[in-house]
Amino acid sequence: MTKDDTAAMDVDPAPPAAPVKTEDAQALFLADIKHNVALLEKAVAVHETRFVTRVLRTTSAIRRRLTQEYLVKAITQSLPAGNALASTYLSKLDADVMQTDDDATATPAVAPEVEAYLGLLTIVFLHDQKKYQEGLDVATSVVQAIQHANRRSLDQIAAKVYFYYARFHELLGFEAALRPALLAFHRTATLRHDHESTATLLNLILRSLLNANLIEQADKLVSKSGGLPASASNNQLVRFMYYQGRIKAIQLDYSASHNYLQQAIRKAPQTAATTGFLQAATKLAIIVQLLMGEVPDRAIFRPTAMRAPLEPYRQLVLAVRQGDLVKFNATVKDAAPRFAADRTQTLIARLRHNVIKTGMRLISVAYAAISLRDICARLGLDGEEDAEFMVAKAIKDGVISATIDHARGIVVSSGAEAAADVYATREPQVAFHHRIQYCLDLHNQSVQAMRYPDGVKKSSKAFSDLDEMRELEKEIQQSLEEDDEDF
Amino acid sequence: MVALTSAGGLIALLEEHDDALKHYALQNLDTLVDQFWAEIADSLAHIEILFEDTKFQYRQLAALVAAKVYYHLGEFDDSVTFALGAGELFDLNAQSQFVETIIAKCIDKYISLRTKQFESNEFVDIRAALEQVVERMFQRCFDHEEYRQAIGIALESRRLDIVEQAIKRGDSAVLLQYVLDCSMNLVQYRGFRNQVLRLLVQLYSELKEPDYLSMGHCLVALEDPLSCADLLNKLAQGSPKHKLLGLQLAFDLEEAATQKFLQQVSANVAESADADKIKKILSGQLTIQLQLEFLHRNNHSDLLILKQSNANLDPRNSLYHSSVTFANAVMNAGTTCDQFLRDNLDWLARASNWSKFSATAALGVIHKGNLDHSMTLLKPYLPQQGVAGSAYSEGGALYALGLMNANHAQPLDYLRESLKGSTEEVLQHGACLGIGVSGMATGNMEIYEDLKNTLFADSAIAGEAAGLAMGLVMLGTGNTQAVDEMLQYAHETQHEKIIRGLALGMALIMYGKEEEADSTIDRLLHDKDALIRYGGIYAPLRRLLHVAVSDVNDDVRRAAVTSIGFVLCNNPGQVPRVVELLSESFNPNVRYGAALALGISSASTNSTEALELLEPLLKDSVDYVRQAALIAKSMIVMQQPSAKEFRTHLAKVLSDKHEAQLTKFGAMLAQGILDAGGRNSIISLRTRNGTNNMLSVVGMAVFLQFWFWYPLTLFLSLSLTPTALVALDEELRPIQLEFVSNAKPSLFAYPPPTTPPTQEKIEKVQITLSTTAKAKARAKKKEEAEAMDVTPSVPVSPTSATAPTSGGDEVMAEASAEGDATAAPADGKKKKKEPEPTSETKANLTRVLPAQEQFISFAECPFQPVKKTHMSGILIMENTQPDLPVAFLEMNASKPKSSEGAAATAEEEEPAPPAPFEYPFDD
Repeated sequence: MTKDDTAAMDVDPAPPAAPVKTEDAQALFLADIKHNVALLEKAVAVHETRFVTRVLRTTSAIRRRLTQEYLVKAITQSLPAGNALASTYLSKLDADVMQTDDDATATPAVAPEVEAYLGLLTIVFLHDQKKYQEGLDVATSVVQAIQHANRRSLDQIAAKVYFYYARFHELLGFEAALRPALLAFHRTATLRHDHESTATLLNLILRSLLNANLIEQADKLVSKSGGLPASASNNQLVRFMYYQGRIKAIQLDYSASHNYLQQAIRKAPQTAATTGFLQAATKLAIIVQLLMGEVPDRAIFRPTAMRAPLEPYRQLVLAVRQGDLVKFNATVKDAAPRFAADRTQTLIARLRHNVIKTGMRLISVAYAAISLRDICARLGLDGEEDAEFMVAKAIKDGVISATIDHARGIVVSSGAEAAADVYATREPQVAFHHRIQYCLDLHNQSVQAMRYPDGVKKSSKAFSDLDEMRELEKEIQQSLEEDDEDF
Repeated sequence: MVALTSAGGLIALLEEHDDALKHYALQNLDTLVDQFWAEIADSLAHIEILFEDTKFQYRQLAALVAAKVYYHLGEFDDSVTFALGAGELFDLNAQSQFVETIIAKCIDKYISLRTKQFESNEFVDIRAALEQVVERMFQRCFDHEEYRQAIGIALESRRLDIVEQAIKRGDSAVLLQYVLDCSMNLVQYRGFRNQVLRLLVQLYSELKEPDYLSMGHCLVALEDPLSCADLLNKLAQGSPKHKLLGLQLAFDLEEAATQKFLQQVSANVAESADADKIKKILSGQLTIQLQLEFLHRNNHSDLLILKQSNANLDPRNSLYHSSVTFANAVMNAGTTCDQFLRDNLDWLARASNWSKFSATAALGVIHKGNLDHSMTLLKPYLPQQGVAGSAYSEGGALYALGLMNANHAQPLDYLRESLKGSTEEVLQHGACLGIGVSGMATGNMEIYEDLKNTLFADSAIAGEAAGLAMGLVMLGTGNTQAVDEMLQYAHETQHEKIIRGLALGMALIMYGKEEEADSTIDRLLHDKDALIRYGGIYAPLRRLLHVAVSDVNDDVRRAAVTSIGFVLCNNPGQVPRVVELLSESFNPNVRYGAALALGISSASTNSTEALELLEPLLKDSVDYVRQAALIAKSMIVMQQPSAKEFRTHLAKVLSDKHEAQLTKFGAMLAQGILDAGGRNSIISLRTRNGTNNMLSVVGMAVFLQFWFWYPLTLFLSLSLTPTALVALDEELRPIQLEFVSNAKPSLFAYPPPTTPPTQEKIEKVQITLSTTAKAKARAKKKEEAEAMDVTPSVPVSPTSATAPTSGGDEVMAEASAEGDATAAPADGKKKKKEPEPTSETKANLTRVLPAQEQFISFAECPFQPVKKTHMSGILIMENTQPDLPVAFLEMNASKPKSSEGAAATAEEEEPAPPAPFEYPFDD
């Protein structure tokens, strides 16, 4: 899969390894890992998931520096020799498994969080190295360990591991086998009130169902599972919106679909890492908007990242806007492989009708009377009879107000709608209502999205050390962008 | 096999007519349900119909499928229903998440059903299958010897038989204690609790060594005076050891039960050698006498504090005047020390009107418990035939008479006469309060009628007191007739004062009635009149928090928040969490309530959490919030050595010219509370056995009414419990003995007396108020924490005893030196040098703080207490070496009547009672 196709899950391939590989870099890397491990242990000790979040925030920075050698060192440094998971990691990394005295008697206990974290790093590394089968093996063992441990401090790491677990399955083409496992994990996560994993897993299941074109199933799952937990992270929420947008679009509920897609696009982090997702969502949004009878804003085609991949869609929009069936057909034909890859074909096929409608309206405005033959010619229809049906339907749907003179074979526009003063109708009111509604919704969602600390007093107490607070703030600032990259 | 993508086909099969097809479909769905539950959920209705079709052969399978789908949908109730319907197909032993979840839900459901059945007395259909699941859980607990778990579930699901089984199987003595704790603290519903207690009484008596004292506690909680009397009789006829136990039990009963209960027990005590002794104990006289003796002997009140504070407050202001009066009264409560009054006669003379009333009544608090001399002491102030005295001092004297005899119906007749014989409002007011206090919880209908007549005179002042007194007399009886009458009159009258008095009175009547009080509370709460709602709050209830934030009336909200303190006094640790937000409320009344709630619930616990919450309130912008915070803080740090910093704070508040009057009042009162009862009393709403101390609770509730009516401040004296250790022999004589407290003396020492201020001293005070004081306090706290860690049995080497931080060390050394110097004379070790000893020897009749109890040991003493728990209060001792000569202590505080019993026999010379003196009131 390339970056700009529908792979809403796709993440950046790892950038080329750091140019200078010095001893210092290695030492720095190992120090970072040590620091993270210490944080994880602290999180377990004080029951504070905040620290886990801090650790995971550094993942993308660490990921860029990962090398086989570093990782092996990190694992041997953080996990005691003889640890079962550690040996799995090392063996999959083609490194020598540390053999202690053959029977692993009394290996010191390590926090499962630390094991899982190093597992996660290994998985990420294997993913970037395209060693999918090895990655899957590691992921499977980590998932088992997580299921077994049942600790809330593991939740955030667990969510990430599930993600890669599913991703490896997909890359290796084991999708069908994946779904029952995901469903079981999802149930477990729900029962354990593991919100982060619940959200991730629900999205993964939806993705799997949509890939298999099981729209109906996906819809039922969404309605029966009660949606995402309220505390789900923004990234999961955005994804969920996108999937719902897709489901609704196929189920002909365009306005709902458009709503979801708009929100997904708006809420998604606007960074280079999310371009793929934004492209996919925008493509779908354009089609849905066209299907609703609206014309998308030209501005969305303008950003550099969007220009090339959206070009066929721009052609489509033009065709629909002009009611030019010929152009429409040509575009569909030319860009067929692209649309197929984007999985928008079905929806685009539905657009044909819209093109005709628009064309019809333009004709009825432009001509007081026009023969059916001319309509055929203009819209590129096959025969007069066809044209007559279409005109009749348009009249019935209220798209145009005209009468058909069968004897002479012409369509006579009554011209009412052209002359009518649109400001005398309810149209402006409705338009305003929509805009106001949109603003209010936006406001509400923003308010809901705001998260306050658990009481100012407490936090000030917790950070009695001003330095610590400042340091943390700096760290958050730094890692904010990286967080988005990790999307 | 190619993976299925939809269960649609199987679902369609369910529509077929052939049972075999349906069976096939269900079988497959059962295995696929984990994957396609969302799809199957749409056809749930159909599966349910299959289950309900009794002719359908595989209906249980249908139920199982439905249960699984509901489980996936998160509808656990339905899931449980169907899982039970599935019968044997639902495999309890399967190790799946589904089964585990359903079992957990089954137990929850069972508990809720049983509770409902129990509380509403309706027949609730509990399915056999459900019961079976729970039974198997119990069995599993028994197999793994997890008796406490089984007991927990059994108590919650109201299964007495299981409780009994568990106790019998496990370590009975330990488990019984566990059940007793649980049932007293956790079982909310009174009816069931009584059943549990009955069971406990039975089991206690079946023990090899029956635990008579615990049985007594259960019986008090059951309000069963007859069985109690039986128990006492049985003990009295038993071995000498049993006799001693009987006496101890009598003391425990006296501490925990109401007057009415004690009277009934007393009436049913059979004639025996010990009967007189027991009756005397039950009458409460002996306890009061001993406490008086203790307070008198160990009086450490610091008159200098009062003097200094008094100098700062202008006596012309009646508020300041009363505040000093109250502080003096509380400080010297029960010590019979009226030195301060004697020294400040001209100050006293400035009292006028109600200040005079309070001042006279304060005398009652100071001489509290001096039963025999009450009339003599108060004679000069009491109304006398033919002489027209000041109504205020006469009323005050009647009130004082009541306070002296609090919870002890001795002077009732005299008070009733005074009430009837007078038409003066103030006099009636005093008489009513006096009657209320002394006739508390007697449930005497005649007195009630008298009070009602006074009430119906519709005089605001007398009526208020009458309403309150009616409540006090009928305390805890739950008499509906009385409540109805009072409520009706509350609606009729125009006077707010009367309504308030009645409202509180009604609350008191419902004291401790729990569920039975709910309906009354509802009525009170839904009343339109804010004042009546106000009263409704003072009964224990759970909707407090709701009221606290939603009522429109400030008084009601304040009362609601304050009451949280009462309700949660069992569990002081929770209060800070509950009131945390309330203490930050924008509404000063709510903040006020929050402060008091903290004070009430955490009284004398020195809880750091509570103190932390109070800290900002001490600097609040509203004067009365600061007042409440000061009072609350003083309650919390009572008898704590760490109160030094707070004392300086109080002194500063009082000397600050710009401080508001109300705050100064609070500070003065706080000083009084801090040193309450000559530094020998604490406020505690719980008795040593963990039951509610009725006297304390009532005293506190009425005390809080000082917001409206200052004379009610004196009710605080009811809440004061002397922290004494009194050891008696079988003849109820206080023995001269020594026992060991295995803790550093400075930990529980009296604070050093203040020295008269010199010029430098004043400067020093100002300096210590800055951060150094805090730093010192921190160091001190740290030191204390370390000291507490020291295991009492392990002797601490001198090097480790002298703590690491130098600053704190100095402070501690100072404190201990001073503490030693001023401690009771029996506290013989006067070591001014470090290292501090890790234990100290103490004599009978000395102060033992609740925190100190665990360090008390009688190991080297020929006498052993018959009660093994709670080494404080009144203890009956068993002489293990009867050959040794025994010395007894003399009773100095008051002169007991010779007819009263053996206690007086040991007395040789009696000190003269303090010479009566008269207030120089100019009438």
